[in-house]
Amino acid sequence: MIRLTNVSWRRERKASTPVLSNLSFEVPQGGFRWLLGPSGAGKTSLLSLLHVESLPSDGTLCLLDKDVTAHTHRSVLVRLRQRIGMVHQDFRLMPDLSVADNVALPMRLQHRPEDEITDEVQSILKWVGLGDQLGVRASRLSGGEQQRTAIARAIVHRPGLILADEPTNALEEPQAHKLLDMFSELSSMGTTVIVATHNEALVRRLPRPALVLERGRLVQDGA
Amino acid sequence: MALPFSGRKDGLSLSEALPDRSLFILVAMMSFLAALTLTGATGARTLSTRWAGGAAQLLTIQVSEPDQPLAVTSKADKTAQPTRADAVLADLATLPTGTQVHRLTQDELARLLTPWLGDAGKTALPLPAVIEVRLAEGQEAPTNLEQTLDAHVPGTVVEHNAEWSTRLRALAQSLLACAALALATVGGIATMITALATKAGLSTRRDIIKILHGLGATDSYIAGRFAWRTGGLALGGGLLGTLLAMAPLLLLFRMAAPFAASTLQAASTTMPDWRTLPDLLPGDMLIGLAALPFVAAFIGWVTTQFMVRVWLRRLP
Ligand SMILES: Nc1ncnc2c1ncn2[C@@H]1O[C@H](COP(=O)(O)OP(=O)(O)OP(=O)(O)O)[C@@H](O)[C@H]1O
Ligand SMILES: [Mg+2]
Repeated sequence: MIRLTNVSWRRERKASTPVLSNLSFEVPQGGFRWLLGPSGAGKTSLLSLLHVESLPSDGTLCLLDKDVTAHTHRSVLVRLRQRIGMVHQDFRLMPDLSVADNVALPMRLQHRPEDEITDEVQSILKWVGLGDQLGVRASRLSGGEQQRTAIARAIVHRPGLILADEPTNALEEPQAHKLLDMFSELSSMGTTVIVATHNEALVRRLPRPALVLERGRLVQDGA
Repeated sequence: MALPFSGRKDGLSLSEALPDRSLFILVAMMSFLAALTLTGATGARTLSTRWAGGAAQLLTIQVSEPDQPLAVTSKADKTAQPTRADAVLADLATLPTGTQVHRLTQDELARLLTPWLGDAGKTALPLPAVIEVRLAEGQEAPTNLEQTLDAHVPGTVVEHNAEWSTRLRALAQSLLACAALALATVGGIATMITALATKAGLSTRRDIIKILHGLGATDSYIAGRFAWRTGGLALGGGLLGTLLAMAPLLLLFRMAAPFAASTLQAASTTMPDWRTLPDLLPGDMLIGLAALPFVAAFIGWVTTQFMVRVWLRRLP
C-alpha cells in the first residue's frame, strides 16, 4: 500500500515554489488508480517520488510497508526499488542492449537463476508482441516497440507496485486495451497499479478511482 | 532455442566508458617507475645492512714481514720462535668467543690484488699477511687492540671499518627514505589517474547508471562493475610495466654484484654469469616486484570503489 501525508517536493532545496505541495492520499495494496491532470501538473514528478528516485522535501511517504522518509538506509531503498515496476514516459531503455537483455535486467539485478529469466522474458515479450524481436538492439526499435519493451521490463519480475507514466501514448488502440486489461488483472491479483494518462477514452473504458493533480496540488484524492 | 541473451550484460559497456589505452599505459609507466625505485631501495638496503652488520663488525689486520720470527732478542732457538703472523693470530685467539679469525691464503691475497698488480702470485713485492677478524654480533673490538698488537708485534696495522661504515649507512638510509617518498608519490599519482578515469567514465555513463539505479541495482553492484574494470586494467598495466623494468634491473644487478659481497674472501672482481644472476637477486626484492601489479590493481580497485560510491550518494 501507499500512504502520503502532507508530502511536498521541491526540485532544489532552496526552490521557491514546490513542484508538488501538500499531497495526502492512500492507495490500498491491490488498488488501481488513474493519475490525471493537465500537462505540467506534476504527474511524472509524483511517480518519480513513488519510485524513490528522489525523496520528499516535507511530509511522510510510506511504500510497500516502508516509511521511506524515516532516514531509511540506502540498501532498504534499493530493495524497495526492486519491488517496483516503472514505465517511464521516455522509456529509458539501454540503447546498446537487445530487447531480451533490457527486459532481463530487473531479474538479473536480483540474481534470479538464468533459466527462470529466459522463460519469463520470452513469455512476457511474446505477450507484448515482440516475440520475434528478442535480439534487436533497443536503439533500433520504433517508439511503440520501445514502449512495449519498457512495459515488459516493468512487469517481468512481478513487482508489488506498478507505476506507468503515459504507457499507451505510443501504442495502437488494441494494444492499449490489451495492456489496460492486464493492468486491471494484475491489480485484482494484489499488485498496486498507478497509471498516469491524458487519454480520456482509456479512462472511460476502465472506470477506476482517479488522483487528479493541478499545478502540483491534489484536487481529487481517489478515495 | 538459442536466445539473444548476452550473458551478464547490463548496458554499462565499460570497455567503452573506461577505454583501456590511457589507463593501461599510464599504470604501466607508473609500475615501471615503481619497479626501478623498488630495486634502488633494495640495493640501498642491502648495502646499508652490510655496512651496519657486516663491515662494522669487520677488522682487517696487516702484519708486515709475516714469516719472520717474532723476535731476535731472545736467546732461544730461532726455529722454536713463532712467526710474526702466528704471534698476532695467537693474540687474536684471546678475543671473546664467537670471533672468527681468518688469515687470507696466498691465493686469496693474489686474487684481491690482481686488479692492481696483475698476476700477483709472481710479484717480487713482499706481501703482508692479511687477517680478517669478524666480531660476533654486538661485539666491539677492544679499543687498545692496535696498541697491544703493535707492542707485541711491531708494524702491525689494524684497520677498523666502523667509522666510514656509519657514514655510508647514513647515506644508504637517506637513499631509502628518498625511495619510499618516490614510491608514495607514484602511488599517489596512480590514485589520481584512476580517480580521473573513473570520473570520466561516470560522466559518460550517467544516464545508464541512473536507469540501473532505478531498476534496483545496488551501490556495490555498480561500484564493483567499475572497480573490477579499473582494477583489471591496472593489473595488466602493472604486469607490463614490471616486466619491462626487469631488463634494466638485471643489468644493474649484474653490475652491482661484485660490490655486494660481504667478506674479502667472497669478493670477486668479475661480473656474475647471466645464468647464475637470478640466484643473486634478493628474495624480498623479487617478492616486491611480483606484488607490484597486484598493488596497482588494488589501488585502482579501491579508488574506483570510493569514487563511484561517493558519486552514487547523490541518488537516493
Ligand atoms: N527537468 C526539469 N527541470 C526543471 N523543471 C522541470 C523539469 N521537469 C519538469 N519540470 C517542471 O515540473 C513541473 C511538473 O512537471 P511534470 O513532468 O511532473 O508534469 P507532468 O504532469 O508529468 O506533465 P506531462 O503531462 O506533460 O508529462 C512542471 O512545471 C515542469 O515545468
Ligand atoms: Mg509527465
